[in-house]
Amino acid sequence: MDFTLTDEQKMFRDTIYRFAKEEIAPLCEEADLKGDFSFEVWRKFGEMGILGLPFPEELGGSGADIVSCCLAGEALGHAGVDGGHTLAIGAHTYLCAATLYHFGNEQQWKKYIPKLASGEWIGCMGLTEPGAGSDAAGLRTTAVKKGDRYILNGSKTFITNAPVSQVMVVYASLDKSKKHEGITAFIVERDSPGFSTGQPFHKMGCKCSTTSEVFFEDCEVPLENCLGGEFKGWQMALSSVEWDRCTLLAPFLGAALFALDECAKYANDRVQFGRSIREFQAIQHRIANMRLFIEAARLAIYRVASSKDNGQMLNPLLAAVNKMYVGDKGCDMATDGVMIHGGYGFMHEYPVERNYRDARLGTIGGGTSDIMRMIVSRIMLM
Amino acid sequence: MIDYELTEREKKLKQDMADFAAKAIVPRAKKLDESPKGEVGQLVKDNLKQLAGVDLLSSGLEDDKMDMISSYLAGEELAKACASTYMSVRSSIFLTGGAFLLFGTADQKRKYLPALRKADLVGAFAYTEADAGSDLGSIAASAAAAGDTWLLTGVKDIVLNAPIADVILVLAWTDKSAGPEKGMSVFVVEKGASGLSIGEPLDTMGLRGAPLASVKLEKCVAKEILGGTAGKGLAQVGKLLEMGRVTAAALCVGVGIACMERATAHAKTHKAFGKPIGAFQEVGFKLADMFTLNDLGHTLSLRAAWAYNIGEIEAPILAACAKLFAGEGVTQVANLAMQVFAGHGYLKGTDIERLYRDARFGEICEGTTEILRTVIAKHELDRFARS
Repeated sequence: MDFTLTDEQKMFRDTIYRFAKEEIAPLCEEADLKGDFSFEVWRKFGEMGILGLPFPEELGGSGADIVSCCLAGEALGHAGVDGGHTLAIGAHTYLCAATLYHFGNEQQWKKYIPKLASGEWIGCMGLTEPGAGSDAAGLRTTAVKKGDRYILNGSKTFITNAPVSQVMVVYASLDKSKKHEGITAFIVERDSPGFSTGQPFHKMGCKCSTTSEVFFEDCEVPLENCLGGEFKGWQMALSSVEWDRCTLLAPFLGAALFALDECAKYANDRVQFGRSIREFQAIQHRIANMRLFIEAARLAIYRVASSKDNGQMLNPLLAAVNKMYVGDKGCDMATDGVMIHGGYGFMHEYPVERNYRDARLGTIGGGTSDIMRMIVSRIMLM
Repeated sequence: MIDYELTEREKKLKQDMADFAAKAIVPRAKKLDESPKGEVGQLVKDNLKQLAGVDLLSSGLEDDKMDMISSYLAGEELAKACASTYMSVRSSIFLTGGAFLLFGTADQKRKYLPALRKADLVGAFAYTEADAGSDLGSIAASAAAAGDTWLLTGVKDIVLNAPIADVILVLAWTDKSAGPEKGMSVFVVEKGASGLSIGEPLDTMGLRGAPLASVKLEKCVAKEILGGTAGKGLAQVGKLLEMGRVTAAALCVGVGIACMERATAHAKTHKAFGKPIGAFQEVGFKLADMFTLNDLGHTLSLRAAWAYNIGEIEAPILAACAKLFAGEGVTQVANLAMQVFAGHGYLKGTDIERLYRDARFGEICEGTTEILRTVIAKHELDRFARS
């Protein structure tokens, strides 16, 4: 057993934290208020080199291990970067580019990874459909091979980054009779004929990431843009979604660290009934809850991340526990943050308000908490 | 480099304890729970002897240090088998033995450690009083110097192992004017000492097999102070109880896993409306919650144990987090397990009914849930305190 970060990992986290705190976090409050994706923030992510962390240097990435990828997400959240911009990284780097990297061929890598790693292009991933959420295997988007291309028809929804993306990894059925085994992944570029995206949704939280529907109307995709081979899509989707139960959750841990710092400062400074409110046990109770969440969430997230770095098989049970805990208890933690601030916590000017809205996504995106319980209980009852 | 895997040696220790406990301890858990309080002392002593016989009694209590990972792993397995036995072992080995190991003089270590490890002697630690639990600075017990020895006066009110103890460590004032930090000492009191009397065994809601009584000191003769020097008592007890949060978490997680395993087996076999009840989400999801609470309690505990082993500065806070999580966790887990068994678990004589009662001590021992929150909160708030 070893819980020590390497010196390199520590330095990496600290560097990102400092840069993000000085250069990025100050831009986030206003962007969140407007619900805008900030291209300035995105450029700074690119400058920092965190959009292509897990990819080899020759493809423009940093060759980082998964623990470091999580450290980056944690550091951004801790520095005060909002959950929307960190979610945009998640969809871009892990859902889109990492899938492309893991299942793509060299030609596809060379074409897409360097542009994605630098942030010049923004990526997204399309699995969810209006009629296929938790039951993703029931997706209806179809692909038909026609001459030198595939023709896609259907629609996707809740696609993070779709309105600003240049490239998308899309799951569609190449043979409906095969049910989920007919699912195949495709790389679709924005300027493909028949491809369009809808108006961005107005979301409750993580507002700076743009999210919309995506439409395929006889959308033409060249044959070489089939990703990972025909009929391989379902396993690809499962494996990428499961591993993302660490990298996409790390920013939620970071946000909790940020919230705890803000709350501890506030509780020291705020005076009521003639004394600092830190002296009231009701406040202490909430502060302790926040620290407890951080400790448990940290262990759960880095367990999944380190197992990947150490070459172990993903344990779906522990990945689901991680997602469920960080999601559910993250909301409780965010509630504690608001309550420590009282009326001020209800105001946008205090970042715990944003944290409260952003945290909610942890229980929903990437598999709801209920679905996680379903996975865990099924494995237990086998 | 982060790695959550146990070493081969640690895995073997855990497995050895699980195997032995399943064979020798589990079959006696029910009897221990149901026997009259006057009889549990001998029964639990037999268990201690048996564990010592296969060299599993004092895992982690090494010659020169405490290996908290081993203590935790062995403890969790034993608590899973029989929580009462574990509490008795914990008191004799991790608290009393640990006190000698960490703070004893060379002579004290030689005299007591091997005997405690073999269960030739049973240890007890007497610190709590009727009016001083979490607030040990308010104890009343005091010691007066009398030549080479000390005479102790006071009452310690809930002392685990007291009815079977051969050596009792007692926290008492040596110099009230010096204040709690410097005015208290831990005394080594042996069975049969003049002025020592052990009260009638106390009955409890759960952990009924763990012998418990008050300890009355009426000018009780104590020849030695732990470590030989007076004035260090509160710090010694503080350190032991703070580290003891890891082994207290082992009680919680062990009982929690026992609850979960039984509930899972029941959910697979018990049928309603034509299918196993586990197939209903209201039951299956409870199992998932039990798993999550046990798993994270276990992981937090090992994290804290590892922190102690390498001397990490945050170890006490991590231990407080582990115990807080595991304590509240097992309260919930036992409750969920009872709900899965429903009427069948509410019957006297069932495992789940016993475990439900045992579980409730998890939030109480070695730092109540309330004290732990206070400790953790202070640590966080002080990071931003205005000087």
